Amino acid sequence: MAKTAAEWNAPPPKFPVTHYVDSRIYTEQEIFEEEREKLFRPSWIIACHESEVANAFDYRLFTHPTGVPLIVVRGEDMKVRCFYNICPHRGNTILYDPAGNAKRMTCIFHAWSFDTQGNCVEISRAEQGYQDRFCTKDAGLREVKVEMGFGGFAWVNLDDACGSLADYIGPAMDVLQPYMQEPMEVFHFNRAIVDTNYKLWHDTNSEFYHDFVHYFNRITGMMQPGYFERKYTAFPNGHASVGSMSIQYDKYAGSKERAVGWPGLTPGGWYMVDLFPGMTYNLRTSVLRIDTAIPLGPNKVAIEFRGLGLKRDTPEQRAERVFDHNTIWGPFGRNLHEDLLAVHGQGRAMRENTDSRWVIHGREENSTIHDEVGMRHFYAEWSRRMGRPSYDPMREGRPEPARAAA
Amino acid sequence: MEQRQQIEELVYRSCLALDDRDFKAFLELCDPGFRYKVTAYSPEIRKELVWLDHDRKGMETLFTNLPRHNSDHAPLTRHATVYTVKVDGGQAEVVSALQVFRTALDGGATELFAVARLVDTIKLDGGTPKLAARLVRMGTRQLGFGSHIPF
Repeated sequence: MAKTAAEWNAPPPKFPVTHYVDSRIYTEQEIFEEEREKLFRPSWIIACHESEVANAFDYRLFTHPTGVPLIVVRGEDMKVRCFYNICPHRGNTILYDPAGNAKRMTCIFHAWSFDTQGNCVEISRAEQGYQDRFCTKDAGLREVKVEMGFGGFAWVNLDDACGSLADYIGPAMDVLQPYMQEPMEVFHFNRAIVDTNYKLWHDTNSEFYHDFVHYFNRITGMMQPGYFERKYTAFPNGHASVGSMSIQYDKYAGSKERAVGWPGLTPGGWYMVDLFPGMTYNLRTSVLRIDTAIPLGPNKVAIEFRGLGLKRDTPEQRAERVFDHNTIWGPFGRNLHEDLLAVHGQGRAMRENTDSRWVIHGREENSTIHDEVGMRHFYAEWSRRMGRPSYDPMREGRPEPARAAA
Repeated sequence: MEQRQQIEELVYRSCLALDDRDFKAFLELCDPGFRYKVTAYSPEIRKELVWLDHDRKGMETLFTNLPRHNSDHAPLTRHATVYTVKVDGGQAEVVSALQVFRTALDGGATELFAVARLVDTIKLDGGTPKLAARLVRMGTRQLGFGSHIPF
């Protein structure tokens, strides 16, 4: 039955407030700015993988979700450090290329130079200009906390007073740790910029009910035994994991058995871990995919996609992983375009002034694959950290939750 | 028809067929041993990327499966310019510049979607020139919500 304006504007009936969110959490500039400070600034965020900075002096640039430009660099001592990519002199960009190898990081503007420990080692014509008022010791780079872990990723945290990465992740990655014992290597990277809110991308990674958009997943998964037994597990700090099943790749015409597999993983196995506030580990049969969502605005997100294999892969094994990856997840792959198209559609329908009002996360199926508990868990954490209930983000006085978030 | 003109026309016909989503017509331009590959270089990870790699049967399957998937329906328009043709015995290597434009269904606004270089291997020994291999060397790597349709 179609709704009147009053019915459209009223919260979804018969759901507790934990089971829907107000669409304005996806559109309001004020909320977006607050998320950057309250969610992203103090969280551990994946900047890159160790294989991207494999050698001494290798560096990789990363734009943090707060907007801060960062350099992740491996020093001569092989330790990975992270600094603002901002020259302390006139605020210029120090390194321009997204990756490279730089024994000295030298700003092209006035040739101030920095080592891989963040020390300023050269100020051109320093004595003539600054006499004894300012010297290299006063001109260090702003260092950012970085920890390596959980598959060899470089995690950064802008908050000097933050807790450890291990404390932040907690037990959420336990399900994947057995499969990440060997060194891995990034073989794929691309970035998609889509007019949608970053949470909508993370939502898509946090629910499998949307497998209806994927012909591939319906044929190889939903219609196969074990699919509806996959379960969500919620963890502290807003993280969640999804249990495995055996994907029947041969059910998709032209697909083939994924022979290369993954050490320890059952053939056709598939685990996912969604990490607050916008990262996903997706280990599917022969490839590990990592998504990092970088919000650019209330209705714009950059999503960085990485595909990883094993460092010890032979060329033939690597080629198989690349093929497996791109069939589904490459820029021309079957599933990625569908997922991106779907969240683009949400962005279209929810952008400011469209009068979108509510998004329902109401499915309860004993935490199995079409249950929307993953999103409910995310928004419980979102509400806690933001100090705004996701069902009433503008604090217009809606009632408190009738029952706790799942 | 001059050989060079035949070769150029084959490249252009392949673009027209894909523009029209006439995949059968596209495959008719291809040799049975056809191989299609999309690659790019990523300065971010300093590695060569392979985005698609299919033989002719793989391309047929890709095209057959397309209607079963949810895809963006905005038409793509390919604009190719043949730069060089190098004939060597029974085949030619042809390098073309490619721009791909996307035209929105609602309102018809056209935007540049991608730039790439086509490196085609064309068989000349069977009467009618046929595409033996196409390498789409992507310049653009940021494709927004992407596409299911090859270039």
